[in-house]
Amino acid sequence: MTQNLDLTDIQGNIIKAYGAFNFTKARYLFLRIDNGERGRNFVGAVTTKVTSAVRWDKNSKPSATTNIGFTFSGLQALELPTASLLGFPEAFAMGMKKRKDILGDDGPSDPIHWDKIWQETAHIWLSINGQSTQAVDERYQWILKQIEASDGGVTLLTGHRGESDENDLPYQDASVLYDADGNPTPKEHFGYTDGIGDPVFEGQTNTQARVLGRGKLTRSGQWEPLATGEFLLGHVDEAMEYPQTAPAPKLLAHNGTYMVYRKLHENVGSFNRFLDEQSETYSGSKELLAAKFSGRWRDNGAPVVIAPDDASKAEWDKYYAAADFAGKKRMLIDFSYNNDIDGAKCPISAHIRRINPRGSLEYGVKDAFERPGALVDRRRILRRGLPYGEVKDATRDDGIHGIVFMALNADINRQFEFVQQQWINYANDFKEGNDKEVLLGNHDAENPGKVVFQVAKDSGEPPHFVNNIPRLVETRGGDYFFIPSITALKMIAGGIVDPT
Amino acid sequence: MATKSGNATALTVLSPIKNGAIGEMSFADITRERCLRLPIHEKSPLARVPNTYLARLFVLDDVFYESLPGSDSVFNFSDITSFFSDAARKAALPKKDHLQSRYLVFSSNFYGDLDDYLAGMWEKWAYDAHGNQRDIRYIWEHCVAFDQVNDCNDFIGYIKKCQLDASLFFNGSTDDSLQEQLKALYLKQEFTKFVVAHQGKSAEEIQQDFKTFIDRVQPENMDGPSWLPGQSMP
Repeated sequence: MTQNLDLTDIQGNIIKAYGAFNFTKARYLFLRIDNGERGRNFVGAVTTKVTSAVRWDKNSKPSATTNIGFTFSGLQALELPTASLLGFPEAFAMGMKKRKDILGDDGPSDPIHWDKIWQETAHIWLSINGQSTQAVDERYQWILKQIEASDGGVTLLTGHRGESDENDLPYQDASVLYDADGNPTPKEHFGYTDGIGDPVFEGQTNTQARVLGRGKLTRSGQWEPLATGEFLLGHVDEAMEYPQTAPAPKLLAHNGTYMVYRKLHENVGSFNRFLDEQSETYSGSKELLAAKFSGRWRDNGAPVVIAPDDASKAEWDKYYAAADFAGKKRMLIDFSYNNDIDGAKCPISAHIRRINPRGSLEYGVKDAFERPGALVDRRRILRRGLPYGEVKDATRDDGIHGIVFMALNADINRQFEFVQQQWINYANDFKEGNDKEVLLGNHDAENPGKVVFQVAKDSGEPPHFVNNIPRLVETRGGDYFFIPSITALKMIAGGIVDPT
Repeated sequence: MATKSGNATALTVLSPIKNGAIGEMSFADITRERCLRLPIHEKSPLARVPNTYLARLFVLDDVFYESLPGSDSVFNFSDITSFFSDAARKAALPKKDHLQSRYLVFSSNFYGDLDDYLAGMWEKWAYDAHGNQRDIRYIWEHCVAFDQVNDCNDFIGYIKKCQLDASLFFNGSTDDSLQEQLKALYLKQEFTKFVVAHQGKSAEEIQQDFKTFIDRVQPENMDGPSWLPGQSMP
C-alpha cells in the first residue's frame, strides 16, 4: 500500500523545500545549448553534482545543492529523439510566454516587459541553493568551469536585473529576508509569512506528522497524503491513472516532473498605500485587513479562519506561544473552511483560500462529490523559491524586490495554469463572479477590481468591499521546465534516450 | 417543432449545400469561408438579431465513422468475432454511412417564438464584409433551393423545412428577454460600484445619492443605459 520512492533517483528540489533546511541563499542560472553533443557532455558533467532527494543527516547535508531542468527547446537542442519530444504536453512545449492569455500575463506583466534575459529562449535551468553566500559562489565557480570546459557547447545567458541598475547579470540571486537582528525569517516583501502549507504526497518521509491540512481531506474529516502521481511522473495520480504528460520511454519520464519558474515583482509601494487607504474604511485593524487579503496573519502566519478578528488573534497567540514545536506546526496548518462556507471569517478571495480551498468547494452541499476536496486534489502544486532583492524605499514600486516562484506538478496545464487562470484571476468556482484574488490577481488599472468580505449571516452587519485593487504583483520572466530523474539525466547526457 | 423551455427556444437547422463549385472552390467551402469571416462581438450580425442568447454557424462535411456500436447486452458481437474468419468478421461490421450533401448548420438559443426570431434574422442580419454590406442571403446563398427564397415568409418557410428537433439549451441564461437580461447585468454591475463608492457613508447621504443613481441607471427603461448585445468591453 505505502509507496516507497527511490530517493536516490529523484531530484532533491522536488521533495525538499531547501529553505526549510537552512539553505538561505540561492542562485538561478539559465543557459543556451549551442551544440548538441557538447551540450550533452555539459549535462553529464553537471549531473555528477545534481542533488538527489536522499535524506540528510548532520554529516551528509551538503553546503550547496544543484538541480537542473530543461525547456522544450532545450530538449530539442539536446537532440532528444523526435518520438520522445512528441510525447511532451502542449503547455510545456509552448513555453510560458505563449501561455500569457491563460496566465493573465497582460499589461505590465506582458512578456514584452520581462527582463532582458527572457527576450531570448532559455534551454537549461540550473539552481544552486546554499547554506551561505560562499557555498553558493563556490558551486557557481564550479559550474562556470564546466561551461568553459564545454568548449562552446553551452552559453550562460545574461540579462538579469541587479540591485544597482544592472540589466545584464549572468544569474538571478535570491535569499531569505532577515529581521532587524539579522536572523533569517520566512517572510516575503509584503511582510507575509510564506511557504507554510505545501502539499504532502505519498512516498514523502514522515507524512503521518505532516499531512494535516496539507494532504487531501477525506469524508470523515481526516487528512491523507495526495497521490504521488500528482507531483511525479510514472506514478499513479488522484484519478488512479499514470499522468498522461509523460513522454516515452517510461524511463525518461519516471520520477521526473515539470517546474514552473516565475520571477514575480512585488509592488511594495502600491501595496502599502493600498493597505493604508483601505484600512481607513475598514472596521478592524490594519493588520486584520492585511490578514484577510492573504488568509494568514502577517506576523506569525496564524490562519484567519481560526483567528478571524483582533480579539481571537490575541487568544490564538497565547496558545501558540505555549505550544511545543509540533503543536505550533499543527496550529498553522490543521484547519478547513467547513465552518466558514460563506467566507465570513476567511474571505473567499483570500490568497490561501483561492489556491487551496481545502474541500470548501462543496459549498455545504452534503456529499456533493466523492470526497470533499475532489475538485481541489487535482489542482495542487508544490511551491519552491525564495524572495529576491531588498526593499530600500517602502513607498516605491520600482526597486528590485519580489519572489522567485517555482511550482512543481505533473501537469502544468491541469494544476498550475488552472489555479492561475480559474482561481486567481477568475472566481466562477467560488461564486464570486470575476473577482480576482487580492494579492496575485492581474488587476487592471483601467478597470480596478473589488473583493467582498462577507459577514456572518445573522450579524446584521453589512459586508465589507475592498475596492480599487491595484496590480500588486507583476510577472518579470519565467518559463516551463522538465525536471528529469537522475537516471533520465544520465540517459539524456549519454544521448541514449530510446523511445522505441 | 421548435423545442421550447420556458420562454427560450432551441433551434437547430441543417441546410444542404449544393454539390458543385465555382471554379476551383466548392460551394461548401465558399459557405464555410463566409462563416469563418463573420465579424465577432458587437460587430457580429447576430448582435443585431433580437433576442439571440447564443448561436453558431458551421459547415458539416460528413458524419464521422465511429467504429463498432456499443450495446447494453451481455456482450458485443465484436467480442466474439475472433472465432470467425476475417472475411466473416469484416462482413459483419456495420456499414459506413456518408452524407449526400454537405450541410450549413445553424443552431441558436433565443428568447421568444420561432417566427418572430426568423423574421428578425431576415430583417436585421447585416454586417460589413470588406466594404460590402451583406444580409442573411449571403450566408445561405449556396444552399439547395435557397434561390427560391425571395421574402421574409419564404425565409421562414425555408428554415422550418431544414429544422431538426432540438433539446439542448444554453445553461447560463435566465428565462427573460435578452434586453432584460442585459439590463439586469448592467444594473448589478452599476449597483456594485454604487455600494463600493458609498461604503461607510451616512444613511442620509446614501439615500440621497441612491436617488441620483436610480435616475441615472433607469431600472425600468429597457432602452436606457445598458449593455449592448455582443458588447465585449465596458
